[in-house]
Amino acid sequence: SAVPCSHSSLLVADGHTAPRPPQEGNRACILVDSREITSGLEVISSLRTVHGLQVEVCPLNGCDYIVSNRMVVERKSLSEMLNNGSKNKFIEQIQRLQSMFQRICVIVEKDREKAGDTSRMFRRTKCYDSLLTALVGAGIRILFSSGQEETADLLKELSLVEQRKNVGIHVPAVLNPSKCEALQFYLSIPSISYITALNMCHRFSSVKKMANSSPEEISACAQVTRQKAEEIYRYIHYTFDMQMLPSDLNQDRLKSDACSAL
Amino acid sequence: MDRNNPGGTGPVHVPLGHIVANEKWRGSQLAQGMQGKVKLIFEEDLASADFYLSSRSCILYITEADLVVGHGYRKRLVRVRNSGHLQGIIIVEKTQTSEQYFPAVQKFTVLDLGMVMFPVANQLEASCLIIQLVQEQTREPSRNPFLRKKRCVLSELSLVQTVQQIPGVGKVKAPLLLQKFPTIQQLSNASVQELEEVVGHSVAQQIHTFFTQSR
Repeated sequence: SAVPCSHSSLLVADGHTAPRPPQEGNRACILVDSREITSGLEVISSLRTVHGLQVEVCPLNGCDYIVSNRMVVERKSLSEMLNNGSKNKFIEQIQRLQSMFQRICVIVEKDREKAGDTSRMFRRTKCYDSLLTALVGAGIRILFSSGQEETADLLKELSLVEQRKNVGIHVPAVLNPSKCEALQFYLSIPSISYITALNMCHRFSSVKKMANSSPEEISACAQVTRQKAEEIYRYIHYTFDMQMLPSDLNQDRLKSDACSAL
Repeated sequence: MDRNNPGGTGPVHVPLGHIVANEKWRGSQLAQGMQGKVKLIFEEDLASADFYLSSRSCILYITEADLVVGHGYRKRLVRVRNSGHLQGIIIVEKTQTSEQYFPAVQKFTVLDLGMVMFPVANQLEASCLIIQLVQEQTREPSRNPFLRKKRCVLSELSLVQTVQQIPGVGKVKAPLLLQKFPTIQQLSNASVQELEEVVGHSVAQQIHTFFTQSR
């Protein structure tokens, strides 16, 4: 009969050791910075094996995790957040992310405890509290994690929430050589994120097409806000003025002019 | 009707730099920690919130016991979230006993409800954090490093760098191309013949292919 049959097929699906990817396209994708391989290996492997997500390791240039077309996640150890010395570096990093992403989430992760190490007692500092409140004041989300495994779980939840809001990542991260050239070109546009450049690669039929697009078209293809699309549009239409170029580059050019004249 | 309606989510007047606290916190370690640093006004009938930082933002304090007992605290959070005009900040006592319940609370408050949440170890830590929150709310937004205006980037230099990404174009040819075709758009529309006036035939071909090739 039909009923036991469908039961058994369910059991088979559940019995798989590796989680089966849901239908292609619906599967959540997360981009991971290649630097996380050294510092967050367990996060990456948890994402892959426990949660069965599609994880693509890319050179994200300091953006730890990209979970949607608009959201970046910065993974930060608790000890670094407590320490006043690394405060400015952290602020600069967040400001850089703000120029590229609409939404930012910081995951504060507890440091791994070494056996017998009691010196690393958690002592809450004023610096820590002021960082937290400043982040909240700027609308940046904060999540707290007890370790790399929990961080992976939080990343999965974030990507699912974003997917429900229709901003999930739906383009392949693997590119053929000609697309790679275009990717590098798009990435050199100021304040553009890796996922935006990737979307542009896949959704514009050619670079020429992109350069002749209206802000509305850029917004739709690159999956960015109207404001960001206008910023990109202005860059494409910005008139170059040699006088404004920093002098060292200008001298290079003069030298080369002299060479070609000779 | 009373100024503070039974739901406790009606508008509450909070003078600048003050905190309106629920009467139940009178004499607590938390209140003592704040006294002397901010002025506390105790009020009764604040059914939902524990503290008001302003008329639009309030703090809900979840104790260790609340977490261990069950999901009762959730109703309070949902009520504040649904009030529409109130931003709720949740402070949770995360201790050795309540730690195991923390991930579920965090998922519910931050990911499901979209509210802000901070863990603290005890009431003393909470008092320091609340003082910091008051200071953050009363200071100029421009003092927040994450709200500062972005500085302008030098577009000429980035334009040169963008053009250098085209195959066959290095740091010598990039400024030359931009002098003849001063925007990326104009460069993308240049014909091979026009490009040949600046660079050699093969590079002109390469540039044209880069822009027009469908991918």
